[in-house]
Amino acid sequence: MLNILVVDDSLIIRKNLKKYIASLGHNVIGESVTGAQAVEACRELKPDLITMDITMPDMDGVSAVKMIKEFDNDVNIIMITSHGQEDMIVSSLKAGAKGYILKPVNEEKLANAIETIYAQETDDYDDDLLEY
Amino acid sequence: MIKDECHGAEIEKDVLTPILQRAVSFLNDDMKIRVVSQSLQVICPKKVELKKNTSMIGTGGSIQVIITMSYEDALLEELVKAFLEGEEAAEDEMDEIRESVSSEFVNTVVGNALSNPFDGTTLTITPPVLIYEAKSLFRHKSSAIAAASITTSFGDILLTVIGPKESFADTLQFKEL
Repeated sequence: MLNILVVDDSLIIRKNLKKYIASLGHNVIGESVTGAQAVEACRELKPDLITMDITMPDMDGVSAVKMIKEFDNDVNIIMITSHGQEDMIVSSLKAGAKGYILKPVNEEKLANAIETIYAQETDDYDDDLLEY
Repeated sequence: MIKDECHGAEIEKDVLTPILQRAVSFLNDDMKIRVVSQSLQVICPKKVELKKNTSMIGTGGSIQVIITMSYEDALLEELVKAFLEGEEAAEDEMDEIRESVSSEFVNTVVGNALSNPFDGTTLTITPPVLIYEAKSLFRHKSSAIAAASITTSFGDILLTVIGPKESFADTLQFKEL
């Protein structure tokens, strides 16, 4: 069971992600609505995995990933975005994210992302653009 | 809406058409809300009457426009039900859920539709913004508005694209704006 931090400024997306995470047998350790909150929550809660929205007010997801990776290089991060633009995805991966889920999010996409990330930890990591 | 002459071949091809197509497929396939008809015309009205529930998103980079989606009440309620996927929500969080659904719909549709700009350049989108109590959009002489609509079994969505007048020229050079 993974301890997962959910980061998204949209209430409906947070609600659905929390439901999928619980259904997959994992634990929602916390939720944040901005990138800055996510950095603090990660420092405090030490999650195994973060689902991170890219487009947020205050601090975007890519900046938050960069800051988090400075003090916790072990946490796995999945970006959630409506926007499949390669520049943004490449920036996220360079910052340390493991891949991304293109909205609309559903349980199957999340399950596939989690499964792939934890399978990668025992295999060679393929540094392609990883859309789950 | 009062129609006016305008050019809009590029705005129709590169912005309005992909957004309208993604909105229709999102409604039909993901939300299971049946689209009855759609209107895809760049009519460039002088004035657009907004519905009560309106969300707005801006794009930057190679396409610099503001996009609004305006929903009828019954349709927004149906979108809320679809997003909740059969779950109940507390009454005291329903207003925020309606707002986030209205925003997520436009965010997902526009983000998906404009992921790959026509000229291969960079495009950014802003977080969605809700417009409260706005009743209409008026076109300023230096701007242009293109509008389209989708009719579903639960009501209409009005889609507008607002940009500088140059954006609606038949041949666009967005990067030079």
